[in-house]
Order: sequence, then structure tokens, then C-alpha cells
Amino acid sequence: MGISRQNRVEVKSMLTAISSKPSRSGQVHTFSALDNAVTPHTVHVIFYYPRSPFKSFDLDSVRIPLSELLSMYPPVIGRVNKTQEGILEVKCNDAGLRVLKAKVSVGIDEWLRSADGHEESDLTAWEDMPEDPSTWSPFRMQINEFEGGGVAIGLSCPHMHADATTLTVLLKSWTEAQRRQCITQPPSFFPMPYNLTDTDAVNSDRDSFSKPIAGPVSTKTATATFRFSGSAFTRCINEHSIHEISPKATPFDVFAALFWTRVALVKDKSDRVCLCVDFRRLLSNPLPYGFFGNALNFSSLEMANVVEVAIGHVARLLNEHVSSLNVEKIRSGLKRARSQEKMYGKDLTIVNMEHMIVEGEPLMYQAVFEEGVKPMHVSYRIGNDGGEGVIMVIPSPEKGFGRTVSVTLPEEEMSKLLSDQEILRLEPEVILKGVK
Amino acid sequence: MPREQMPEFSSSVKLKYVKLGFQYLVDHFLSLLLIPIMAIIAIELLRMGPEEILNVWKSLHFDLVYLLCSCFFVIFISSVYFISKPRTVYLVDYCCYKPPVSCRVPFATFMEHSRLILNDKPKSVEFQMRILERSGLGEETCLPPAIHYIPPTPTMDEARSEAQMVIFTAMDDLFKKTDLMPKDIDILIVNCSLFSPTPSLSAMVINKYKLRSNIKSFNLSGMGCSAGLISVDLARDLLQVHPNSNAIIVSTEIITPNYYKGNERAMLLPNCLFRMGSAAILMSNHRSDRWRAKYKLSHLVRTHRGADDKSYYCVYEQEDKDGNIGINLSKDLMAIAGEALKANITTIGPLVLPASEQLLFLLSLIGRKIFNPKWKPYIPDFKLAFEHFCIHAGGRAVIDELQKNLQLSGEHVEASRMTLHRFGNTSSSSLWYELSYIESKGRMRRGDRVWQIAFGSGFKCNSAVWKCNRTIKTPKDGPWSDCIDRYPVFIPEVVKL
Repeated sequence: MGISRQNRVEVKSMLTAISSKPSRSGQVHTFSALDNAVTPHTVHVIFYYPRSPFKSFDLDSVRIPLSELLSMYPPVIGRVNKTQEGILEVKCNDAGLRVLKAKVSVGIDEWLRSADGHEESDLTAWEDMPEDPSTWSPFRMQINEFEGGGVAIGLSCPHMHADATTLTVLLKSWTEAQRRQCITQPPSFFPMPYNLTDTDAVNSDRDSFSKPIAGPVSTKTATATFRFSGSAFTRCINEHSIHEISPKATPFDVFAALFWTRVALVKDKSDRVCLCVDFRRLLSNPLPYGFFGNALNFSSLEMANVVEVAIGHVARLLNEHVSSLNVEKIRSGLKRARSQEKMYGKDLTIVNMEHMIVEGEPLMYQAVFEEGVKPMHVSYRIGNDGGEGVIMVIPSPEKGFGRTVSVTLPEEEMSKLLSDQEILRLEPEVILKGVK
Repeated sequence: MPREQMPEFSSSVKLKYVKLGFQYLVDHFLSLLLIPIMAIIAIELLRMGPEEILNVWKSLHFDLVYLLCSCFFVIFISSVYFISKPRTVYLVDYCCYKPPVSCRVPFATFMEHSRLILNDKPKSVEFQMRILERSGLGEETCLPPAIHYIPPTPTMDEARSEAQMVIFTAMDDLFKKTDLMPKDIDILIVNCSLFSPTPSLSAMVINKYKLRSNIKSFNLSGMGCSAGLISVDLARDLLQVHPNSNAIIVSTEIITPNYYKGNERAMLLPNCLFRMGSAAILMSNHRSDRWRAKYKLSHLVRTHRGADDKSYYCVYEQEDKDGNIGINLSKDLMAIAGEALKANITTIGPLVLPASEQLLFLLSLIGRKIFNPKWKPYIPDFKLAFEHFCIHAGGRAVIDELQKNLQLSGEHVEASRMTLHRFGNTSSSSLWYELSYIESKGRMRRGDRVWQIAFGSGFKCNSAVWKCNRTIKTPKDGPWSDCIDRYPVFIPEVVKL
């Protein structure tokens, strides 16, 4: 952030939102080995709506459904506690969800056009767990009102508590409760299947309370979001003759391959990537979407000389890797995860969110408060990433083959990527890249 | 020692029967006296025979003037009686405000906010925690939205918004329940002790519901937690003067502007105990309401101990050394409350106690004055005078003290304790929540007498006696409708936080 620009997001007040019913006393939520593995990171989801469903927020009709929903999620409103053996757990004591109210000095369209990654991070709360977390709310919601209507709802939490899918389902369930509909993905707190849990005792000495490196490592990072339409996918397939090499290539495979090769070009070398896939539905006994916690598989992929390889081959590699994920691979992934320090960003990380498309409809774009007012954009951000970069392939608001690709890279590499011809040829709408 | 216990037990049983017999004898003295008189007359009549009775009748010389004069005399006496009888004041119905679940304050949240706001005063935080643990409050009490902010935002707008929320909701419910049209309200009394804006809260109500321009409206402020019964007293007096009238009373306490922001311990107490609540009551003196009214007002006694300095200063609003305004509760609050109660029951006792208790009390009083001052004062058994008790839920200590002084059982104070648990100290409206509890439990029968006792700053002790007019069916709505099945709950002495 070389330019000292006036902060356009101003946090006005902070309150605590409560559940509607007292929870059972003594309830405790424990963390799994995977939860501990993703500890250094934080996860943030931002939903942009063109019209705000809130008025004063205090007396709004959305407050009671929020309270009822929070009763279904005791770990969201609990507080972190260190047991006598030094293990972290969540004491479900109903303390509540912290809500921050902020005002943005520009309109939502102007924001999407001109804000960059750093400014967007002002829309959610970025805090690391303090030494004494007993009065610290792990889950925080920030409601940002734009000039002229429009609102961005930011939800954030330490990655240890939940992954992006859990946060998305949480907000979607709130909108369903508010519209008096059945909650399609109720939360499930059952622990992960036995064959996946590590039998060793979870040790938190590692770096539970050590202060993670605040913000990006040493280099400054920048973020940009590329929105590709369905026709861009078709164009890409035709131009690179992908279906001849990899007939089963999905939109994720194509766009991930495209960006891997282009980023490898600006980086000068990136033969290895880390692939992050949600495994809720990949198990033989699938976990429900409402599974609360982390259900992510991190695995390494290598392709020699990826810069020169045709996109079709990369797409095929990705496709085969994802479709071959089974319980054994997930298990070994979990074992490996324990020894790593940072899951995201140690190598270039590609995040797969195809599982969020349920029956052709993207889950996050079904979070609708008022009929007809869908989110115009949903952003996902990972905090404290390793610095090599993160590429997230997210479903688009419309059904079909379009995808939204959000890229976080060191600043110089990002500026090169933004002028990459291969990407620009597909005519993406580029938002949230800031203005130069 | 079983042997010693046996005589004790049998003697106590004997004593019980003696006492019962004594009570029956004195309470029904006049009727019992009537029996021998009727017996004597009956025997006399039977002895005299029909002819003699006829002769006695003829000797009375009934002529027309005599007859007419007697009739007029009887009519005159009955008219005087009916005209000078005070109008019966009915409580038609009432509604208590149930706050939305989003205003709930769990213990963990209260303590967390306390720690975050008073982060440099751990002793004050510790004090608040100890108070909350022993307070008798539950996890479902509610504070207004402004107090959920860190730090709280007690602006005037927020206070007005809270007032509108609690008052209008209760009144809407009351209108629906009683089919009352706003234009039919003749008298409006609003009592709220600590929030008194201009225009007044009663003006706010008149503006919202477009009440008549010749309405008699009153706004009572500064009168503490006993203001609810003061409003009832005022309504009663007005209903004596104005025939065929409806009176609406709104009792509430607005918490928003009175959240104490400092750290003086004696002034932090109200933060822990006071919670959001209100009640709207419809009273009338229409003859037609005697079928649908729930209660009749029998007595209302107000006792003010303000002449005594200690009583006057025991609940005192003042600034602390940092300039924060709060309410200072003195340490002898319980003792003063006990004194005020004694003064009140000395007045109300003769009005409500059965003759046997009054006689015993009189005898014990004479005995103490003349024979031996060391005799234990006889505490009349108020359980004989009332079926239900509503003790202002000012705090656990108040209820414990009164239970001890009046020798009440756990069931008698159950309504007060459970109201404190579920709603906290809602100030003047707590009596109505307690009454609603008793009705929701299905315990209110026709003819039952209810005693409402309220304490307030000043120091005042006011009590009202109601008589139930019709057996009340368990209500389907109301503040207790969704949780009454969980009550009564066991409230531990100390809740571990």
C-alpha cells in the first residue's frame, strides 16, 4: 500500500448478537487434526448485495432469525478455552457473535470497480486470536453500508474453526430462516468419520498461541478478480483444443489450468502447486454440506515445464487428480498436513470450489434476503497465506460454465498478470483490482 | 429422643386444632351468635301456637301512614347507602411486554461486555460477577438494543425507541385482547421513573394512538419501582369522580439512558439487575364490565417513609467522582424495607385480616404494652387473608426478606422468584408479570384474593389487594406462554459463572 489513500471504510460501532435459546451447559466443541493444521490462516467471505435488507439493524426483522440460527450453531457463539493439558477447545457458553457496523463512502458499483485487495479486506474483521481469548469472539460479522444503498456482509473466523463452505452455509441458512423457509443445509457437528481422524492426541504446543505473521509475509500482495462468462469457457476450449486432449475437462480444470500456466509465466517458475479440494461429498459416506468445521484436502501436483505445456494437458492432470481423490488419499493428505506450517500459499495454491454447485445452482448465490435481490458478487479471502499466491476458482452467479477466478499474488507478478494477453483474450470482467 | 418428640408432636397437633377452633369461632362470631337467637325465636313461636301469633300481629296496629313512612325510611336509607358506596373499580385485563429474543442477555455476554468496558478495573468486574451469580436472574432476561453495543450507546433517540417498542407493543396487545377502541380511553396514566422526556411519554402514547383531545392524561416520573401501584391508586381516585370511564395505566422502566457507565460498586448493582419490561393495564368502573373483568380492587394502601432521613437517602441517584450518574443503593436497604413493610401491614392488616388474627394481634399488643415488653410480637398470619402474593421482584434479597417476615412458603413466593429468574427486575411492571405467572399456572380462581406489594425509592411501600372476579383460564398468549411449562425451576444459591 504505497499510496496513502484515505480509508473509505469506517467502522462505526460494534455489538454482540445473541442466540435465541440458552444452550446446554457444559457443551464443548473440540478441534480435529485438520482444524489444527490450518491454524495460521483466517477465512473471510464477503457477500455484496445491491440493496441492503437492513435498516437500523437493531430492530430489523432479520435479527430474530439470526438469533434463532445462532441457537443452532453453539460453536459460533462460544469462546476459545485452553484446557489444563494445553489443548484448545470451544466452550459453548452463548457469549454471542460480534457484529461490526461500518459505512463505506462510495457506492457499491464504484467500489467494485476501484477497490483493491487491501481495501476489500477492510470489509471484514481481520484479527488474530489474542493471548487470552476468553472475551474474544472467534466469529465476526461486519455489515458495510454503501452510499446510495447496497451492502457488503463480511463473515470471518480463524480457519481452525471453520472453512469457507461452513461460513457460506451459515449465511445462506440465515437468509432461509429470514424468509421463513426450511433450512436446506442444517449444521452437523458429528465428528469426522473414524477412518479419517488421526488417532494421535492433538498437540497444540506447535503454534497455537504464537503470533502468526500479521498480513502478507515480506512481499506485498495484490488481489484481482476475473469474471468469465460461459462463452469464455467455450472460446477457451476451442482455441486451445482442450477437448481433444482432455474430453472430460470441467470449467474448473480449464480455468485453473489457464491461470496456472499464465502465473507460472510471470513467476518464472512454478512447476508445483498445492491443490485444495473440499471432500465433503467425495467420501463414500458423504458428509452433509452443513458439516461444521474443516473438510479440505491439500495435495501437491507437479508438472515439469508447465509454462510451455499446452493447457489441455494441464487440464487433464488437474481433472485426473481431482477425480481420483478417495478416502486413502484424503487420509494421507491429513497425515502430511500435520507437519506443514502453512497450508495456503507455501506453494502456489489453487482452491477448487466446484462442490458449491448443487444441482447446477451455486450455493452462495442462493443466499437471498429479499426476493429477487441476489448477491451481485461473493468474495473469498484467506488470511496469513504463505506469499506464493492463491488462485480460487469460484462459481459464477449464473448457472453454466462461467467461473469467477480470484487471484492473490505478489504485487509485481500481479501487475504482469493483469496485462496477460491469453487471459484478456477471453474478455473477463476484472473487478476489485484497484486503480493504478 | 423419640419419647420427647412424641409429646411435642401431639402437643403441636393439639395446638393446631385449638388454633383452628379459635379462628373459626372468632371469624364467624356473628353468625354463630345468630344460631342461638334463631333457636330461641323458633322455640318461642312453636310454643305460642298460631292463634297467639295472629293476636300479636293484630296488636301492632298497621295503618297506612305508618306503613308509608316505614317504606320511605327504608328507601331513603338504601339510597344513601348506594350513593355513598365507592364505585367498584374493575381491572378488566392487562398485558405484559415480552421482549424479542434478540435482546436476550446470557451471563457470558454480560460478563464479557463488562470485562471489555471496564478492562482497567478488574475489581469492579469481579464485583459484578459475584452479584450476577447470586442475583437469582436466569439466562433469558433482556436488555434494550442500545446496551448490546460495546460501549453502550444510550442516546435520547435510543431511549425513545426503546420506550416506543415496549409501550406500543404492550398497548397493541391490550387493545386486541379487550376490544377497546383508542377513542374510548378517558384516563391515561404512564409511569416511568428514570426517563422523562418532553413531550412526556403519555403525550407520545396520545400521539401514536390518536386519543381524544379531552383525555385526562398523567405522567408519573421519579417515583421508583412502586410507581405502578401509585398509578393504580390515582386511577381509582379518578374513577370515583368520573362515572362510566376507562383508564389505561402503562407501567414501565426505560433502561437505555440509565446504564451506569462508571465503576463505583454500589452503583453498578442496578446494571446487573434491571431489565427491560412493561405492562399495560385497563381499569374501568363500567357496570357492564363486571362480567368480563378479571379483578376487583379491594384495597390500596400507600406508606411513605420519606420523613425519616435514612429511608430518604437509601436509594439515591447521584453523580460519582467521575461525573457518571447512577443510583446508589445503601447497605441498609433491607432493614429499611422491613420497616416500611411493617408500617404498611399495620395499616392494611385491619382491613384484610380475619377477626381471629386481629384479636390475637390486639391481645399480644396489649400484653406487650401492659404486662411484659419482652413477649414476642405476634405476626399475623397473612396466608389466611390472601391466596396469592405478588412481591416486587426487586432482587433475591427482597424476596427472601419478605418470605421470612411474613412466614410465607415457597409456593407463595414462587411467582416472584420465577419472574425475577425469567424477566429480571423490570421495576414497576414486575408485579404484573408475577400476576400473569399465577394465571398461566391456572391457579387463579374466582374469589381468590391477591396481595401486591411494591417497594420504591423514597422510601415507599405500597400494597394493593385484588379480588378475582372470575376463574381465569390458562392464557394462550402472554409473556409466559412459551416457557411456563419449564417453570418452576430450581434456582441455585450461586450460579457458577
